[in-house]
Amino acid sequence: MDILRFITAGNIDDGKSTLIGRLLYDIGQIKSDIIQSVSKSDKTLNSINLAHITDGLRSEREQGITIDIAYKYFTTQNRKYIITDAPGHFQYTKNLVTGASEVDAMIILIDANIGITEQTRRHSLVASFLNIPNVLVAINKMDNVAYNEEIFISIKNQFLVLAKKLKLQNISFFPISALLGDNVNLVSSRMTWYNGITLMQCLETINAKIPNSHITRFSVQCIIETKDSEKGFAGKLISGNLKIGDSIEINPERKSAIIKNIIIGNTYRNDAIAGDDICIYFENGVEAKRGDLIIKNEIPLFFSNKIEATLCWLNDEKQLQIGEEYLLRINSFEIKCRITSIRHKIDIQSFEKNTETNLSAINDFLGVIIETAEVIAFDSFSTLPETGCGIIIDLKTNYTSAAFIIEK
Amino acid sequence: MLNIKAVGNYLDTLESESIYIFREIYGQFKKPVLLFSGGKDSTLLIYLAQKALFPANSPFPLLHIDTGHNFKEALDFRDELVKKFGFELIVRKVEDTIKEKNLIDPTGKFPSRNILQSITLLDTINEFGFDACIGGGRRDEEKARAKERIFSIRDKNGAWQPYNQRPELWKLYNGKINTGENVRVFPISNWSEMDVWNYILREKIELPSLYFAHDRKCINFNGKLIAVSNFINLDKNDTIEEKKVRYRTVGDMTCTAAIESEAESIEQVIDEIASSNMSERGETRIDDQFSDAAMEDRKLQGYF
Repeated sequence: MDILRFITAGNIDDGKSTLIGRLLYDIGQIKSDIIQSVSKSDKTLNSINLAHITDGLRSEREQGITIDIAYKYFTTQNRKYIITDAPGHFQYTKNLVTGASEVDAMIILIDANIGITEQTRRHSLVASFLNIPNVLVAINKMDNVAYNEEIFISIKNQFLVLAKKLKLQNISFFPISALLGDNVNLVSSRMTWYNGITLMQCLETINAKIPNSHITRFSVQCIIETKDSEKGFAGKLISGNLKIGDSIEINPERKSAIIKNIIIGNTYRNDAIAGDDICIYFENGVEAKRGDLIIKNEIPLFFSNKIEATLCWLNDEKQLQIGEEYLLRINSFEIKCRITSIRHKIDIQSFEKNTETNLSAINDFLGVIIETAEVIAFDSFSTLPETGCGIIIDLKTNYTSAAFIIEK
Repeated sequence: MLNIKAVGNYLDTLESESIYIFREIYGQFKKPVLLFSGGKDSTLLIYLAQKALFPANSPFPLLHIDTGHNFKEALDFRDELVKKFGFELIVRKVEDTIKEKNLIDPTGKFPSRNILQSITLLDTINEFGFDACIGGGRRDEEKARAKERIFSIRDKNGAWQPYNQRPELWKLYNGKINTGENVRVFPISNWSEMDVWNYILREKIELPSLYFAHDRKCINFNGKLIAVSNFINLDKNDTIEEKKVRYRTVGDMTCTAAIESEAESIEQVIDEIASSNMSERGETRIDDQFSDAAMEDRKLQGYF
C-alpha cells in the first residue's frame, strides 16, 4: 500500500469540496458524528452539506467558500490518499500553489454549464509550473446539462488546446456529477456514451511520484553529535544512491570526501537509496554544514550567482521589489539574494511570455533573474525538481513571498 | 468499511516525512521544546525524534502543561519515560497560573481547565524563550487542524492566523520568526489515527495502560462514559457503573470520555477502530462539541 497525494482545483462553485465530500462519503469513510455535524451547521438544507466536511474555518462555512487548503485522508485496499482541497478564488491562488507543490495528481474541476474560465487556465498554469505528473479533468455538474455528450467533448477539446501549450502530462477527462455521484466512485448509468473508467478508478491506478534513482543528491539538514562519536551529517538522500567508500563532493565549497559510515533510522548500513533519511560520516574528519549539497558527479551541478527562474509571487501584502534584498532557500541552503530583473510575465490568456511588463502582482508568473550574494550550487528544475526549486523569504516579515523553479 | 492493516510502505513514507520535519526543527531552531501529554500521539513524537537524531538522544526537553486533572496512568507513564531516556522534563501547572493571575477556576459538573492551558503555555514559552513547540496534532483529528500548516506561525500574542498562513511549498518549511513570535510544528500532521496504531504495532511502541481495556467506575453523561474522579462533581441523577473501558484519546479527566471496549492488545484496538462508526474526537472529547468552531477559537487564543 502506497500513498497518493492529490489536489482538487477549480473555480469557485465548481464543486471541489462537494467532490471530496462525495469521494469520502462513497468510500464510506466519513464517521457518523461528522455527518451529523455537517448536517447541523447548515440548517437551510435537508440533505447533508458535503462541502462542509472540508471547510474547516468559520468564515468558510459562513461564506460558503474555501479560503485556505484543507487536508483530508482516506484509505482503500490499494492506497492511502492525502487530499488537498484548494481554494478556487483568484486571491487565494497562493494557497493553491502551497497545496499543489507535493502532489502526484491535480483534479481540475470545470462546471459543464460554464466551461473553461480564467481560473481553469490559472490552475492549469500552476500544474504546468509545478510539473504535476498527472492531470485529471473532471467536467462536473453533468446533471445540469442533461448529461449531454457534446458539451463534454467540446470542453475536453478546448482543454486539450491549452494543455498542449502548457505541456501538461498524462491528462484524462471524466464527465461527472459530484453532487449525485456519477462517474466519481460508481459508473454512471445516465451517461452510457462514456466508456471510460471512473475518477476513483483512475486515482487507484495512476503512479505516485518516485525519486530519481541515478543522479545522487543529498542535502544536509543538521549535524548530529554525541559524546563518543564524531560528527554525523543528517538529511534526506533526495535522489540516487550512496554506499560506504563512495567519493562524494560537498557543495558549494567543492570539497571532496569519502563516506565512512551510513545510518538509516537507528541502524548502521552499507548503502542507502533515494528517499532514505540518512546520517553519514566522512573519512579523515571532513565536515559539512546545514545547507550543503552533497553529490556524486553522474550529472554535474550548475555553479553561478545568477539564476534564470520562473517565479510565482505569493505575498499579497508586499509587491515584488526589484533590487530589494531577500533570502533565497533551496532545500536547506539559504543565502541573501536580489531579484535584478523581470524578463517577462506569462500572459494568462495566451500563455505567451509578455516582455512589455515590469509590473508584478500577487499570483503572477514571471520570468526573472535572481542574483545571489555568492556563487551557489543547483540543478535546473528539468534535471531534478527537488534541487531546482526554491522559495524567496521577505527579510523583515519572514513571510514566504515567492516560489521559483530554476530554468538555468 | 474496510479493515486496514499495515502492509507495504505507506508507514515508511509517513515516518520519513516526520523524520525530515524533526531534522528541520533541529537544524532551524535554537530552543525547541516537545509538548508532551502522555498520550499516544506525543509518545509517537518522542519515538520519531529519537529515530531522527540517532545516534544522539532526542535533545528536545518535554513540556507538560499540567491542568492538575490528569489520569494517574498518564503521569506514571510520563515519569517512567523521562527516567528511561533521561529527558529533561518541564512541568508548569495551570493551577499556578490561576493563582498568579487571579483567574477563575472553572466550576460545574465537568470543570475543565482546557482553555486556561493556553495561558500557562504562552507564559512558559516566554519564560524559557522557546522558539518552536513540537506538537502531536494531526490534521485528521478535527476540521480546524485540517487547515493548519506543518510549521504554523503564532504571532506575538500566541495566536494562530488562519487567514494569513505562510505559503509552505515542497519540503521547504520556513521557521524564520521575529522576536516574540513562535512556531508550532506538527511532525505527524499527515498521520491518521489508524496510521498511528499500525505504526505502534509495527515498531512495538509502549503506551499508557489507559489505551487498553480495563475496569473503571464511570457515569454515563449524554451517552458518554466519564470516569469517576475527584475532578468531576457527581449529582443525584448520576449512577455509577463499573464498565470495561479503554481510552481512545487521553486528555483531562474532566473532558475525556472512555469507550466500552474489550480490546486488550494493539491488534484488537486496530480492529475496534476499523469497525467504529465514530471519529476519534467525536467519540471521546466533550470539549470540541460546545460549538462548531470550538477548536478554531482555542487556537486563536494560543492553544496547540
